[in-house]
Amino acid sequence: MPVSASPPADAGRQSEPPADVAALIPLVRRIVEARVGNHPAADDLVQETLVRVLAAASRVEPGLLEPYAIVTARNVIASLWRQADRQRRNQHRVVDLRPAEEPDEQVLAVEEQSAVAQALARLSDREREALVAHEVAGEDTHALASQTGSTPGAVAAQLNRSRARMRVEYLLALENADPPTERCRPVLLALSSGDRRRQREVDAARHVLECDLCARLSQPLMERGQQRDDEVHISVTSDADVVAARQGARELASRLGFRATDLTILATAVSEVTRNIVRFAGSGEVVVELVERPRRGVRVTARDTGPGIHDVEQALADGYSTNAGLGLGLPGARRLMDEFAVVSEPGHGTTVTMTKWLQEG
Amino acid sequence: MTPGPALVSILRQGAYLIASVHTALDDSQMVRFQDDLIGEIGRARSRGVIIDVAALDVLDSFGSNTLRSIAEMARLRGAVTVIVGIQPDVALAMVKLGMGTGSVPTALDLEEGLEYLDRHVQHSPAASARGGERSR
Ligand SMILES: [Zn+2]
Repeated sequence: MPVSASPPADAGRQSEPPADVAALIPLVRRIVEARVGNHPAADDLVQETLVRVLAAASRVEPGLLEPYAIVTARNVIASLWRQADRQRRNQHRVVDLRPAEEPDEQVLAVEEQSAVAQALARLSDREREALVAHEVAGEDTHALASQTGSTPGAVAAQLNRSRARMRVEYLLALENADPPTERCRPVLLALSSGDRRRQREVDAARHVLECDLCARLSQPLMERGQQRDDEVHISVTSDADVVAARQGARELASRLGFRATDLTILATAVSEVTRNIVRFAGSGEVVVELVERPRRGVRVTARDTGPGIHDVEQALADGYSTNAGLGLGLPGARRLMDEFAVVSEPGHGTTVTMTKWLQEG
Repeated sequence: MTPGPALVSILRQGAYLIASVHTALDDSQMVRFQDDLIGEIGRARSRGVIIDVAALDVLDSFGSNTLRSIAEMARLRGAVTVIVGIQPDVALAMVKLGMGTGSVPTALDLEEGLEYLDRHVQHSPAASARGGERSR
């Protein structure tokens, strides 16, 4: 598809693309090449993208043309792959049955673009400018730092925060949702940035258990983040999850070189605290992670949104478990692990954190 | 019968039942195992029961308690229970947890378990004759 084919008839512009769209060519070319390489269709894809951006230029808010171009390029590339698929499926047919573009795909693309625009609009001017300069105009952190009298490291950190915010706002716009609580945005931001210290500070994991919206959004946020291979999450609702949790813990810990004895001790403790979730809270989650500091080991966090434990001291006392139902297994799990802490808020739930250190040498 | 590979098996061998756990069991599977085994003790009029737990990944508070109640119920029905195959690391974790098998006897493996039963089950003529009366 030649680019000269259909410049929009609007405005008194010349047949050359307007300067701001022409400026997008290197960017679009970079995106296309990054995705399709030297595919014979690469030039066509660049041109197709520019045609679409040109057609929409008058409707796109000023300053948002670059992000619009990025999204458009991605959509154009995606539909090339889909067409290639269809062609492969239909190649035995004499007649080309390809529809021009499926209507739902168009709707999706429009929604996606408007979500990007909304997300960008929610960033501060400075954030937006830096993000666009870096992602779109390709300015590196050194250049940006010297422009703003900052350091490349600080610029990179700020860019990461802006990207994290952008992702959160994009998802909120796509869902067309207003966060139901004050805590939602800080939690989503912490998840989006992958900052684990911050996640603990805002108690993100607990909020995600309690808040449906954040639970839903946390999935795409964490998926795109680093797929951690030193952590397993088991959501807990039934007896079978108790087995899944203790086996997940055993598997992860075995990678660190725990002895068989310690693996069984760990699995037994995980079994106890996970069963407590099923029995007394109904649902919750168990997170098992490898830790490096202060020593190498495995940390297990078991959270629920149950009724909570009114007297944690008593629940941890030996003998208590045999007389009352609540807290069953806690004293035992404590004896099995090296570190053990229970935080419980009546009416909100309980968090058990426990650690087993690797016996080295 | 549930589809898929059996989680447990219960076999009659003369006046004894040999129950083997083939994989990690969750609590409800453990309870079903208990019910099935107690039912079978009644049907078979068994005098001795061997429970082989070598394939269990852990024996936590619930698992240990269930084994104890199986043994207690079996005793009330006139059968002696012995648990075999507790792995050394599982045993250590049980001790650290503060659990044990209580008064339930344990043996190293199936062979020792059978020897234990032979020593502790009274082989009265009535008891040995019972095997033949099963079908009525
Ligand atoms: Zn929320």
